[in-house]
Order: sequence, then structure tokens, then C-alpha cells
Amino acid sequence: MADERKMATKQRLALLLATIIMLGLVVSYSSGSLAGYLSGGTQNENENSESNFEGNIKISGAWALYPMMVKWAEEYQKIHPGVRIDISAGGAGKGMTDALGGLVDIGMVSREIYPSEIERGAVWVACIKDAVVPTANANNPIVDKLVKTGVTKEIFEDIWVVENATTWGQIVGTDAKDKINVYTRSDSCGASETWAKYLGNYKQEDLNGVGVYGDPGIAEAVRNDPLGIGYNNLNYAYDSNTEKPVDGLVVIPLDVNGNGEVDADEDFYSTKSELVDAIISNAYPSPPARELNLVTKEKFSGATKEFVKWILTDGQQYGLETGYIQLSQERLNDGLAKLG
Amino acid sequence: MRRKLKDLVARRFMLLATFFSSILVFLIVAGLLQRSSLILLTKPISELILSSTWRPLAGEFGFYPFIIGTFWVTAIAMALAIPICVLATVYLVEYAPSRLRELMKPLVDLLAGIPSVVFGVCGVLAIVPLVKKLALLFGIATTGYSVFAGGIVLAVMVFPIIISVSHEVLRSVPNEVREASLSLGATKWQTVKHVVMRIAFPGVVAAVILGFSRALGETMAVLMVVGNVPKVPLSVFDPGYPLPALIANSYGEMMSIPLYDSALLLAALMLLVVVFVSNVLARMMVSRIGVMMHR
Repeated sequence: MADERKMATKQRLALLLATIIMLGLVVSYSSGSLAGYLSGGTQNENENSESNFEGNIKISGAWALYPMMVKWAEEYQKIHPGVRIDISAGGAGKGMTDALGGLVDIGMVSREIYPSEIERGAVWVACIKDAVVPTANANNPIVDKLVKTGVTKEIFEDIWVVENATTWGQIVGTDAKDKINVYTRSDSCGASETWAKYLGNYKQEDLNGVGVYGDPGIAEAVRNDPLGIGYNNLNYAYDSNTEKPVDGLVVIPLDVNGNGEVDADEDFYSTKSELVDAIISNAYPSPPARELNLVTKEKFSGATKEFVKWILTDGQQYGLETGYIQLSQERLNDGLAKLG
Repeated sequence: MRRKLKDLVARRFMLLATFFSSILVFLIVAGLLQRSSLILLTKPISELILSSTWRPLAGEFGFYPFIIGTFWVTAIAMALAIPICVLATVYLVEYAPSRLRELMKPLVDLLAGIPSVVFGVCGVLAIVPLVKKLALLFGIATTGYSVFAGGIVLAVMVFPIIISVSHEVLRSVPNEVREASLSLGATKWQTVKHVVMRIAFPGVVAAVILGFSRALGETMAVLMVVGNVPKVPLSVFDPGYPLPALIANSYGEMMSIPLYDSALLLAALMLLVVVFVSNVLARMMVSRIGVMMHR
């Protein structure tokens, strides 16, 4: 009898001990990973060269950079199969917030970095160039005239900011009474910031119009609306297979010199590569051409640092074929110096 | 002895799990309050709620257009959903042959499992052009991105909630009650109208309230079709800007200025409070119907 009771007590003790150990394991494991999550570290911290080509890199942000980043990730993973790269798009603002919040290793940001973000520890390098272009529907009633006359910056300002140009007739100087349906982006993004800056140092919140989510969203809205006007990142306005503007869209020429006509040296919108050349030669103004940035909190390190370094060197060659413009060697060197 | 110990350990673990999941709500409320206190302390609440100017970088935070936008979209959705859902449920429970019911009910429930972004894409491709054509019939030129389009998409999304909850409620009405009514010579419709619906009414109201709180918080699908213009809509064909869409769209600006961050979390707090209140109302209704049935 007494033996039996002793046994029972022993078993109880053993069970209790086991529970305590298990609990301890669970807590220490979860608190460890929790601490890692909170401090924003997803890449491993040790700097030895082998592990720098292994691990996960998480990336989010600008729609403008998304196609380019997909290409880079694809090529990089071919060379370094140990690296896994997760990319999601959601606008420049999301990229910045995620990077500063430690949710991702790299935020893609298609606009300038604000001082308040630098204060919070944003560190960035420019990685490639592209441009924002104004778009209209291919079945617009005055489309033929539109591509001949082009549109000046002042008129774009009247459409999006001042709101006193409300008919298509006002844009090309006829008495066409068709109402302009103005579209803008609803998510905080680099395309809007760049477009607003081009119109005269405005911010995204100054642009009026129906807000549509995402780059593909605004292209779709203009494609479905013969009276619509919008703006897109280069790679969403042009079809990557045909090189021509996306079916149903026309790219509105900028009348840079303001003479009411698209001159020979202002006429480079029929294919993507023509426009890319114009951006390189600065015939297409900047803004709306702009540099695209990669952002992280405090500093790039580990596998992420190696990846960014690769983007600034070997990665540049994939720019043109994907529809982007390589940075000048000088800008690349600036970036590499910043990486350290 | 061992069995008892096992029982005790299991019980404590389950208590811990319950405690953890129920305390989350309070943690969220506390967090939101703490983060939104900055804007609540710097701006008078009347200005926040009643001003219509939304220019965060200029320091102006008027939530009025967003509150009204939320109201419009939700009201349109409920106006479309309530009659359809109630009639469909009455048909399913009272009239439909059981084979048809077994076929239809899972189809409706399936709607609940579709991700909201799918509803959004369908809305952009189908509802927005439809609303545009509809507005033309009234002689109004619009882009189709409007509170009406948002309302239609939302209505479809709350169908399964309202239908499945009121389905359960109607089925819980005892059959004896129906039989008593029919045996007094009442027609089927009279029985439904005067007997079944009368008993089930609080439950159906609860179903509607649950659908309402779902509609209020739905984000992605609405955001894609509603137009996102921070102005008070003057007609159903005007674009609007509901609160959840504001939070999702401007999430990326949270790092720009501290007040912006605080304003967005205040928006989240407002949503939470409204949803909380309507859920409490729904619960009260459900417990009332329970009491009535046991009388």
C-alpha cells in the first residue's frame, strides 16, 4: 500500500517536472523568436561570407519597382540558390512603413525619402530609374488631336490640382464639351508623389480625382473609361511583350516647350524603348522621370547587403530589358559607398 | 490519482487559452487609445468629427467625409441586402422542399468563403461599368466608382451572414407553433407573417446587425470600387471614402508625421467602438429570443 502511494507520488512529480520543462522550452523558444521579430532581424546577424548567400530576404513596396525586383530576385536566386526572396507590392508608403517597422528587409520606395523618415532611421540607396507617364483612353473622342498637340504641365496642373480644366475641349483648345474623368491613386505611392511634384511641388493629397487602388487598378480604370485621364508607371502603361502602350491606352505626350505641338524631338511615345531612350537623354523631363530607392532600417547587412550590392553592380544589366533605365556609374558608386 | 492530475493540468491549460483569447480585445482597445491619444489631446473632438477638410500634411484632420462615406456605403448595402436575405431565408425554411434547401444552403455559405479581394476585382470588372450605365439612365455622367458600387459589392458580401444566422433562428421556431396556426385555418403566408416572424423577429434583427458590423468593417472589396474621394457624397453615384479604406490606403503615410499615425489609429478606434456596440446589441437581441422561446 505504502509502496503504491510512493509510486504515485513519484509519477506525479515526474509529470509535473516534465510539464515545467516543456513549458520552459515553449516560452523560451517563443520569446526568442518574438524578440527576433520585434527587433526586426530576420536575416542572421553573423557576418561570415558563407552565410551571406543563404537565408530569407523579405521585400515589399512600390508597384513601380515590382517587375524589376521580380527579375532581380529570379536572376540572383539562380546564382545563389540558398537565398530565398519574398516580394510583395503595395505602394511606396507601405514599403517605407514596413521597412521602418522591421517587417521587411528591403522597402521599395519610388519617391524621395522625407526628412521625418530619415529621423526614424531610414537608410536608402538609389537602384534604378523609371518614369511616370500620363495616360488616356484609346477611344477618347479627341485622341488624334491629343497626340498631335501634347499637353503642357500647366494644363495638367489645371486638371489635377486647380480643377478649372473640366472638359477635353479645354485641353486641346476646341469646344468639345466631354467631361474629363480624372483618376488618381488612392494608396500612398511614389507615382502620385512624383506626378504631384512634376505639377509644381505638390503632394499626393493635393491631387484630386477618383482614387483607384494600385498601378494596375488605375490603368484598368482609364482603359474602361473613354473620358478618363490618369497616370501610370512606365511599366504599367506599356505592354512588356509588344513594347507598345497597353491595349486600350494611349500615353499623352508632354508638350515640354509649350508651343502647342508635339515636335519631332518631343515625339517618343510609340514604343517603350523609344521612351526609355528619351529618359536617358533627359528629353523626357525629370520629374516625372525619377530614381527608385531601396530602403532599410539603420543599415543593410548580411544576405540583404550582398543582394543590394549585386543589384548595384551585376544587376544593372537586367534594367533595360525589363523596361528600366540604369543609373550612371557615378550614382552607382555613391550607392556602393553608402553600403560600405 | 494520475487521471485527476491530467484533468487538472488540462483544465489549467484551457483556462489559460481562454483567458488569453478574451483579453486580446482589451489589449487592442488600450493600444489604440494610447496611440490615438496624441491627436485627441491636440485637436478638439468636435473638429475631428465635424470638419470636412482632410489635409493631413497641412495638419487638418476632418473625419466627417469618412464617417458619412462609411454610413452611405453601409446603408446602401443593408437596404439591398435585408429584403433579399429575409425573403430568401423565409423561402428556404418555410417553403423550399428539403432537397432544394440542402442544395441552396451550401451555395450561399460558399459566398462567405470567397476572399474579399475577389469580390473587389469582380466589382471593378462588372459592378463599376454597370453603375456607370445605370447612372446614364438617370442622365448623370459618372465614372462608376461610387458609393452605390461599394454598396452593391458589400450587399453580396453580407448575404451569407444574414442568411445563415436568420436561417438558424427561423428553424429554431418550434413546429408546434406553425401547426397550431395552420390548424386554426391560417394560410402558410399568414402563419409566416403573424406567427413565425413574430417569434423570430429579434433573432432576424440580430442577424441583420451582425451583417451590418461585417459591412462596416469590410475594407479591400469596397476600397477597390468606391472611388476614395475625401468629400461628402451628395448622391449615390458620387464617390465616397469609408473609414476602413482610409486606414488601408494611408497605412504607408504612418511614418510621415506623428499626428497622421495617431489620426489613422483614431479611425481604427472609431470603427472598433461602432462594431463593438452593434455586436452587443445583436447579443442582447439573441438572448431575448432565447427567453421568449422558453416561456
